Amino acid sequence: MFDRRLFTNFDWTLLALVLLICSIGVVNIFSATASYQMAGPPYFIKQIYWIIAGVSLCVVACSIDYHILDDIAYWVYGAIVLLLVAVLVVGKTSMGATRWLNLGFVNIQPSEPMKIVVIMTFARFFSRYPVFNGLTLRDLLYPCIILGVPALLIMKQPDLGTAIMVILIASSMFMYVKVRWSAIVSIIVAAVPSCYLAWHYYLRDYQKDRIITFINPEQDPLKSGYHIIQSKIAVGSGGVLGKGFLHGTQSQLRFLPEQHTDFAFSVFSEEWGFIGCMIVLALYLFLILWGLHIASRCNDRFGSLMAVGVTAMLFWHVIINMGMVIGLFPVVGVPLPFFSYGGTSMVTSMVGVGILLNISMRRFMF
Amino acid sequence: MNDRKEKWTRIRIRFMGGVFVSIFVLIAARAFYLQVVKKESLVKLADKQHQRIVPLTPVRGAIFDSNNAPLAVSIEMDSCFAEPRNVEDIPDAAAKLAPLLSMPADQVEKKLRGSKNFVWLQRRMPPDKVAAIKALQLEGIAFVKESKRFYPNSEIAAHVVGFTGMDPEGLEGIELKYDSTILGGTGYLVTERDALGREVYNKGIVVKNSAKGQNITLTLDKNIQYIAEKELAKAVETNGAKAGIALVMEPATGRVLAMASYPTFNPNTYFKYTPQALRNRSIADSFEPGSTFKIFLAATALEQRAIRRGDGFDCENGSYSIGGRTIHDTHKYGYLSIAQILKYSSNIGAAKIGARLGSDKLYAGLTGFGFGEKTGIDLPGESGGTLRNKNQWFGVDLATISFGQGVTATALQIATAVSAVANGGLLMKPYLVEKISDDNGNMLRTSAPEVRRRVISEETAKTVAHMLEGVVVEGGTGVNAAVDGYRSAGKTGTAQKVDPLTRGYSADKRTASYVGFVPLEKPRLTILVVVDEPKTSPYGGVVAAPAFSAIAQQALCYLKVPPDHPLKKKPEQMVVKSAPPAETVDAVADGGVVAGATGAVMPNFRGMSMRQALKIMEQRGLNVKLQGSGRAVEQNPKPGSIISGNDQVWVRFVPSA
Repeated sequence: MFDRRLFTNFDWTLLALVLLICSIGVVNIFSATASYQMAGPPYFIKQIYWIIAGVSLCVVACSIDYHILDDIAYWVYGAIVLLLVAVLVVGKTSMGATRWLNLGFVNIQPSEPMKIVVIMTFARFFSRYPVFNGLTLRDLLYPCIILGVPALLIMKQPDLGTAIMVILIASSMFMYVKVRWSAIVSIIVAAVPSCYLAWHYYLRDYQKDRIITFINPEQDPLKSGYHIIQSKIAVGSGGVLGKGFLHGTQSQLRFLPEQHTDFAFSVFSEEWGFIGCMIVLALYLFLILWGLHIASRCNDRFGSLMAVGVTAMLFWHVIINMGMVIGLFPVVGVPLPFFSYGGTSMVTSMVGVGILLNISMRRFMF
Repeated sequence: MNDRKEKWTRIRIRFMGGVFVSIFVLIAARAFYLQVVKKESLVKLADKQHQRIVPLTPVRGAIFDSNNAPLAVSIEMDSCFAEPRNVEDIPDAAAKLAPLLSMPADQVEKKLRGSKNFVWLQRRMPPDKVAAIKALQLEGIAFVKESKRFYPNSEIAAHVVGFTGMDPEGLEGIELKYDSTILGGTGYLVTERDALGREVYNKGIVVKNSAKGQNITLTLDKNIQYIAEKELAKAVETNGAKAGIALVMEPATGRVLAMASYPTFNPNTYFKYTPQALRNRSIADSFEPGSTFKIFLAATALEQRAIRRGDGFDCENGSYSIGGRTIHDTHKYGYLSIAQILKYSSNIGAAKIGARLGSDKLYAGLTGFGFGEKTGIDLPGESGGTLRNKNQWFGVDLATISFGQGVTATALQIATAVSAVANGGLLMKPYLVEKISDDNGNMLRTSAPEVRRRVISEETAKTVAHMLEGVVVEGGTGVNAAVDGYRSAGKTGTAQKVDPLTRGYSADKRTASYVGFVPLEKPRLTILVVVDEPKTSPYGGVVAAPAFSAIAQQALCYLKVPPDHPLKKKPEQMVVKSAPPAETVDAVADGGVVAGATGAVMPNFRGMSMRQALKIMEQRGLNVKLQGSGRAVEQNPKPGSIISGNDQVWVRFVPSA
């Protein structure tokens, strides 16, 4: 199984790119948490541990031939959906949301692997689907069921960020497979009344707040709009060249919310300015285009679909997070992959990278 | 099939790539908009959030007298402020603070509930209250040092120094005139604060533009000022007068050594006084000078050679009609020489000299002496007096102006003009600011005497000076002005006041004045005393002359000017009268230490202010050298010991706290 070609074809570019972004992330976490006073190892050290753990998982993920995923996709999908149901029944509640499952020795969050599992499932589903003229509304029936079950379960927790992420990843894969215009129009026509119903009967108050806040953040600057306004101020006051490492006033004086996790990029933008922003943005763009490049090089449809899915996952995390930081999108708790502090995000993203590496190095296997 | 598959894949990948790249461009454009286009406004917003700018009372420079005794100083006091967001229990805090702030509790609570997160509770608080509030250890209540103006000598030189308002700008006097110099830069306290509104002290408090104001040293001598004020107050009070002025000037330079107005005020509590008390009458009030004006008439006439020193005039036995009006003299005189006209202050004689001189030359002479023109002294609010243009002199005007009626002048104008006679004919620009120095004592500006013009020749000046000596000697109107031990020159003035109701001269209201200089040959001091509306006697020779004498006597002694004339009274009597015996003055010149009155008992000065000490000295007829300023801490000899002739007698003062 481990033949020499795997090693010679190993995608060093991708790994180097990811590790470069991780390093910038660590340096930034150092600055973002410089004003924190806490016991135990500082966040940037812990982040390094997470990177090591992530890279290890990444290596595991790329060492097993990804075609196995093709075989087990539905089984895994079923298992995770069961876990999501279990979360709702016996899950651990913290901060108003039930997301964790206590397995006795470890707490797991099944919604997170669901992102990857959705990719696997649709890769398997569409790889057997010989349609090149685009999906009709009818063709979308089964995929929507496959997506809808976990998405609704996750939203019920409630975890709007992950649910949106799962939907965006799946939608990207649908778009990749191609959806007919008639279907898109029909969905939009159907979406308007369902949004109305969702608003009145489904969304929680704090979720509504977030959406209202997004539309008009200034209406209540001290409460729900605070995050967006503060982040915009921090980013904007950085200017072209930034205020310098450790010299961001808004971040060092802790005007920014969650500045080492979801708003880590605000800190970075304030201290490194527009130039720094563009460099990091370019690195992410390169990563995304590299992912698509892997997808296009892949010889089998499952691998190609997997690569597009994983790339879409990384892409949407980056866009939703940055869009939130610069006030384009509402505040949904989505971290910036490789950059924000946090183990969950690091592990998921690294597994995704492992899958990309896996597909990349096995492109000549057929 | 495979080709078609690959082509399909490529197209779809390109499609996805296109979508992804466009969304990235959107993000980049948004970042550009925030960080480049909207940068300025967002930086301002950021600064507004994390910086708090609190304007602080700037530290004003000090004002010193010519011996560097402080007349106005800035002391640091604590100002109390609250950060309402950090106050835990507002009603509780308000209840605890209210008695210490002397405010009702609901008012304190209102302040704490305001929308701002910074509010002054009370600025510049007394130290005991500060300590009491600090002891409460209330969260969100803090202090910052601010400066408060303090006038350590209270009334002394109050009119010259002026005062500042609650905001630190100067409102009167030197404080106003030199406000920008003294004030320096306005200080701002710029603090960074974090998202919870807490001051971030470890980031440092930046004080911007806090350049301390510059210090001003005046020509004024605190001791002479005190003497002038004391004697003026005595003259005004004993004569039941309304107000008064005393001016002491150095004739050779124009340096003002003392400038006193009565009534006076305490600049520390200036707001408690009426505008009457706050006015610096020496420069702000112009009045009809009366007979003192005859000095300038005589000087001009002699200079213009309209008369010669030996000339005489028939004074018409006290009644003389001119221009349809009759002029009277106090006493009936026949033929009087010019010196006698001055000595007896004959209005008829003066009118005749004026007639001889003519209005053109008199007008030219008076403007030459600076009448109708501001002296240019470095004080705000100076009046120039009124000297009507000669074209507007009608009928009796030439005659009345000759003896100082129908014309007004300020005390400073008169003193400056007399100084020109005293110094040999030069009209000086009077000034009060000797030098300006920065906080480190570096000299920034030093004043030099400024000659405005020569008014009369040295010879004329000397002639007039000797004629004026006659005023002081036996038979003159100004005998009470005589200064024992010194030859002096001077002139009395008794002017009728215009009644503002009738617009004519009042029947009983007079301005009594005396102006002169001393010693005669090398004058060191020009002294002018004006007493407004005395009730005891209207005459300058009775009301103002004794004050002149007293001021001159003490000031000359203080300045260690050696006497040039035999003493009339014996030294023992002098001690009682508080003037120093002539012998001791010589000792002063040699040893630099003023000896006390021989045989007297040394009082205990410890803890006294300089003013209190001066009072004791005056009461007991002691002459003690005062060193430093503030409170007395040390003295020689010890309290209760008998002062012997060889003792060095001194009291040392140290500024309190």
